[in-house]
Amino acid sequence: MIELHRVSKVYSVGPVKVPALREVSFRINKGEFVVLTGPSGAGKTTLLRLLYRDDLPSEGDVEVLGANLVGLGRSQVAALRRSIGVVFQDSKLLPVRTVYENVAFVLRVLGTPRREITARAFDALRAVGLSARAQAYPAQLSQGEAQRAALARAIVRRPPLLLADEPTGNLDEAMAAEIVAVLKDIGAGGTTIVLATHQARLAATLRRRTLTLGGGRVMKDEG
Amino acid sequence: MLGFLVGEAFRDLRRAGRVAVSAVVLITLSLGALGGFWLVSSNIGRAVAKWHDQVRIVVYLKREPSACDAAALLERVRAMPGVAGVVFIGKADALRSLKQVLGKDAGVVDQLPANPLPASLEVTPSATAATPDGARDLLTRLAVLPETDEVAGGGDWVERLAHWQRLLATIGLGVGAVLAVAAILTVTTATTLILHARRHETEIMRLVGASELTIRLPVLLQGMLQGLAGAVLALGALVITHSVVA
Repeated sequence: MIELHRVSKVYSVGPVKVPALREVSFRINKGEFVVLTGPSGAGKTTLLRLLYRDDLPSEGDVEVLGANLVGLGRSQVAALRRSIGVVFQDSKLLPVRTVYENVAFVLRVLGTPRREITARAFDALRAVGLSARAQAYPAQLSQGEAQRAALARAIVRRPPLLLADEPTGNLDEAMAAEIVAVLKDIGAGGTTIVLATHQARLAATLRRRTLTLGGGRVMKDEG
Repeated sequence: MLGFLVGEAFRDLRRAGRVAVSAVVLITLSLGALGGFWLVSSNIGRAVAKWHDQVRIVVYLKREPSACDAAALLERVRAMPGVAGVVFIGKADALRSLKQVLGKDAGVVDQLPANPLPASLEVTPSATAATPDGARDLLTRLAVLPETDEVAGGGDWVERLAHWQRLLATIGLGVGAVLAVAAILTVTTATTLILHARRHETEIMRLVGASELTIRLPVLLQGMLQGLAGAVLALGALVITHSVVA
């Protein structure tokens, strides 16, 4: 499903080179739920950005869903992303659209037949327990609800891979637990999940395979 | 899919609000100005072309020649470059014409002790001489004939009209160009605002793997819609103005 081989990423800030990842190698199998943890600046977000091909590694190979991401053309990147759901710390919901419209937007953009859109959008909203708030606007949602709406948008295409970058970062413990429960449900359906979080306690309670990053390296691979 | 993209374009236009309206108004003004000046200019041009054919030069003769001399004079004038035709009008013909012009007042002419009107030649310039320079040359040639007393006419006024026509066309192009630049700048501003407003949509679209065409088409469509609305309004205004004037 995912394989990284000696991946390094160096950012150039003017003349200064800042290494974000150093020779990272690991493999994630289909259906696994992997927690990526470590302090801020450990390289978690950089790693996720490489996985959905938002950035390229400076060295090494990144293979996702059978495709080596180095050297993909624009249309191939688009095709890859159709199989990956991504959730961020801020929900990135479109403020002028309702929850339903936000979820349906993804399907409309990808040319899903109109008759399927409503059913699939409500399936996704039910999966995150938000179907009752379908007509609410993002400003009317709690942070936990907004994050669940973002999750619904990420899974509405039923992607085989879900990447979540600090989805509980802005939430209190109760709301974070809600999101984690939803993620576990999604994972139970066979979706491969990579969850990045700096919250060590959350990672510990999840009891899943945990990759701990530090200084751009994989320090521990447990579980 | 196309319905969705068109819907997104309309949503963008609503978002751009007054800037989009300004862009449409400026497109209307620039196209209206271009079209309006072009209409006026082309109509004047058509009139100028028509009036060019009616330009005449009248050569007043010192004295009425005999029939034989008149025929020889006509031959000489006809052979001049720039002359398309020439007609001899004797003193009696001129008086008859004057009576016709005077109509019911023609009786006053009979009170005259003698016919005061001179004999003349009515010269029709050829197309090459129906220009300011050509007409001036022809006037000079006719003025130096020994029989000539005075030369009158020519197409000066037609040329002045043609000059105005060219001026109008130039002003139209200038005003249209300035307004077109303003319209382009406004459309660019509106598009930039729309791109800024759409940045979240664009980010999500890229994230979920939308094609570049799907991402760009709404922005292109809203630009096209602004242009189309401006063009239709300008055309409508010109048609209405034309029908009112006509």
